[in-house]
Amino acid sequence: MKRSLGERLKRDRYLLLMFLPVLIYYLVFCYLPMVGIVMGFEDYRMGSGFEGLFTSKWVGLKWFNQFFSSVFAWRLIRNTFLLSFFSLIFGFPIPIIFAVAITQLRAKRFAKAAQVVTYLPYFISTVVVVGMMTNFLSPSNGVINLLIQKMGGKAINFMSDPAWFRPLYVISGSWQSFGFNSIIFVAAIMGIDPALYEAMEVDGASRWQRIVHLILPGISETVILLLIMTLGNLLNVGFEKVYLMYSPAVYETGDVISTYVYRQGIESHKYGYASAVGLFYSAVGFIFVVTSNHLSRKVTGSSLW
Amino acid sequence: MKKTRILSLVLALMMLLGIASAGSAESLNLAQLPLTDQAGATVSILGMNSWYSTVDLKDALLLKEIADRAGVTIDWTLIDPTTYSDTVSPMLAAGKDLPDILEMPDLDLNMDYLSSGMLEPLDEHFDLMPNYVAFLEKNPDIKASLTAVDGHIYYVPQTVVTNNYQPVLMYNMPWLEKLGLEAPKTLDEFVAYLRKIKETDLNGNGENDEIPMSIQNAFLPYMFAPAFGLDLVSGYYADDNGVVHFAAYEKDAYKAYLSFLHGLYEEGLLEQEFTSLNRDQITARCANDQTGATFDYSWQMSNLYSAQYPNYDKTVGIIAGAAPLSGEHAGFYVGRNPVSGIFGINAKSNNKELAIKFLDYAMSEEAQDLYVWGMEGLTYEIVDGARQYLPRCTEDTIWYQGLGINAPNMPSQQSTPATDVLLPKWHVENDRTFEEPFIRAPYPTVYATEEEASTSSMYQVDIDTYVNESAVAFITGTKNLEADFDNYIATLESMQIAEMLKVRQAQYDRFAAAQK
Repeated sequence: MKRSLGERLKRDRYLLLMFLPVLIYYLVFCYLPMVGIVMGFEDYRMGSGFEGLFTSKWVGLKWFNQFFSSVFAWRLIRNTFLLSFFSLIFGFPIPIIFAVAITQLRAKRFAKAAQVVTYLPYFISTVVVVGMMTNFLSPSNGVINLLIQKMGGKAINFMSDPAWFRPLYVISGSWQSFGFNSIIFVAAIMGIDPALYEAMEVDGASRWQRIVHLILPGISETVILLLIMTLGNLLNVGFEKVYLMYSPAVYETGDVISTYVYRQGIESHKYGYASAVGLFYSAVGFIFVVTSNHLSRKVTGSSLW
Repeated sequence: MKKTRILSLVLALMMLLGIASAGSAESLNLAQLPLTDQAGATVSILGMNSWYSTVDLKDALLLKEIADRAGVTIDWTLIDPTTYSDTVSPMLAAGKDLPDILEMPDLDLNMDYLSSGMLEPLDEHFDLMPNYVAFLEKNPDIKASLTAVDGHIYYVPQTVVTNNYQPVLMYNMPWLEKLGLEAPKTLDEFVAYLRKIKETDLNGNGENDEIPMSIQNAFLPYMFAPAFGLDLVSGYYADDNGVVHFAAYEKDAYKAYLSFLHGLYEEGLLEQEFTSLNRDQITARCANDQTGATFDYSWQMSNLYSAQYPNYDKTVGIIAGAAPLSGEHAGFYVGRNPVSGIFGINAKSNNKELAIKFLDYAMSEEAQDLYVWGMEGLTYEIVDGARQYLPRCTEDTIWYQGLGINAPNMPSQQSTPATDVLLPKWHVENDRTFEEPFIRAPYPTVYATEEEASTSSMYQVDIDTYVNESAVAFITGTKNLEADFDNYIATLESMQIAEMLKVRQAQYDRFAAAQK
């Protein structure tokens, strides 16, 4: 029997009510601001407010042309992409390895303690993390450099050496998040049927064989799903962290599209130009999401749409 | 009836003022006070809060006094100065619900704001602004730089002293004495001094912890570029023939400058951390007697740097300023342009007339006197006919700043005499030694035409980014001066530096013409 729309609405009214805040959030903060995209195609007149979006001078693709003919375009795209790519390559496997290791520990108390200790950094604010890095890595009195010097090495100016920007960004990022990200893998490992462990033990499998033949296949679906979801977010490098870490000395490797948009838009009032660059950035991100969704459907059979 | 009441009020006020200004016969205020006879009249102002993070100017006594005399209440929107531009630029861009008086986030040289029509042309209301008109008559150079390309004047300025208390080179005087040296006058002498510091235990603590010089990255151009004949501080500058140059594009001189700094860096005389060094760190080094030279606003030398030394007795400077360094060219110090901030009137305000009158009154000499001196009995007393600040002004900085002294949210004008009184005698004398021979005016502030603005907004940000990062790279050696400098120049050329030079030349020519 088919119910009418009204009946169905009535039946699900509490669920719908709970969904309402989410809907409003996305409408107000994600969809409504999209009207501003139009600024990327016009010469926005200062102080003209919302109406200005419709009354400012139309300049077509001028800003896009300007961006792609800028000497920085390629560098920004490369930096944005590489920073995300390295974060993924190095950041993704660590929580898995950690989760496997922690579930194999016999000392359960130690395992619990280790889990707590490793996921706590996740709750430290980015500002504090970068502040700690600046202090620890200072060439004159940072702990790391004092160690290097005690061992006879030469102090390294980590924070203003372009070659160090990506490693520092990636390492500090995965230090902060690997404990927290491992939780989902630990849960997946816990979800494996204990009877299978017993069977393997009866067959005399070594610990290593147990990991390779039981645990890894057991969590492979979770891993692939998470990997694909991360791929969709690949271009979302954190603006805050890059902004806090970088200086003109490391623009070479540290300047990314979002920081460039900030400098152009907020600091130099080129709102149209900044919108255009931001739009390009979003378009690339969109392609990533669609592709990874498509991949996901092919590989795992499940997808977002 | 009403008229006579206002008149008597004005007279009463004038008498009061007469007393407050120690009997000066000058007319300090040209406007009719109070500005309105309407009870509860309000003027809303968007402005900068105090630079002292623990001070809130919302209830500042002196600003309240100004409002009371004008007969209005001020509705403040005060924003932290460190994030002022980031916060206010988007507010202005949106243009919604803005206050009557706007303190702008920058000098608007590209005329982004004033060409958008969001600001009221003030010259059309000069009949309401007697104080401002008088000010402009007295300061033709400021008038020249505030006159927009369309001939209108949109802004009222906040001004600073230009030739006093500017950034200068300072030495650790006891160290110079210990080494038996005079303050260096040339680059070579200076380097010799730095080397001596490195190998001598000047603070006598048995450790080799002396840091030859402590210079923030931003001050390197002030300190060393003049010796190479460059005004790298302004970036663009005009030579004696009125030809505009871009300092970081002067092939030979700029290369020589970078190679000099690279040499200092390699030798460890310019520290590895020079890009992140800040004033607090330098202050701490002074407290430990660890550093031989620094470069900062001359203003800081007594009450900040010298005061760190336990044996400082306020009669002789320990960290004290000296002449600029010369190289192939005679050294100089780069001064400042007088206009440091600007205030405009929101064209959409429905309270324009009162806002204009109030802004004008805030410019008056009477108001300036309050910003600088405060009130008798509160901040100063009169001794032998001359004003003297009360001790609390220097002892209790937070209280003093909280009054609204030198208000950053008002069109206040810094004055040298009022600054002098706050400083020890040796410092004032030290400062006077720079003014005449060494301070040079920076590139003037000139408004851009729409076309020029479009060119410079297209190219200048990228050029600045590139110049800044390349300078650090060349100094630290990440980029090699021999191998990469030609490429650097070529990149600048591909970034349309030639177009920018044309724009700046045209602007300079306009400015020079307006001066004549």
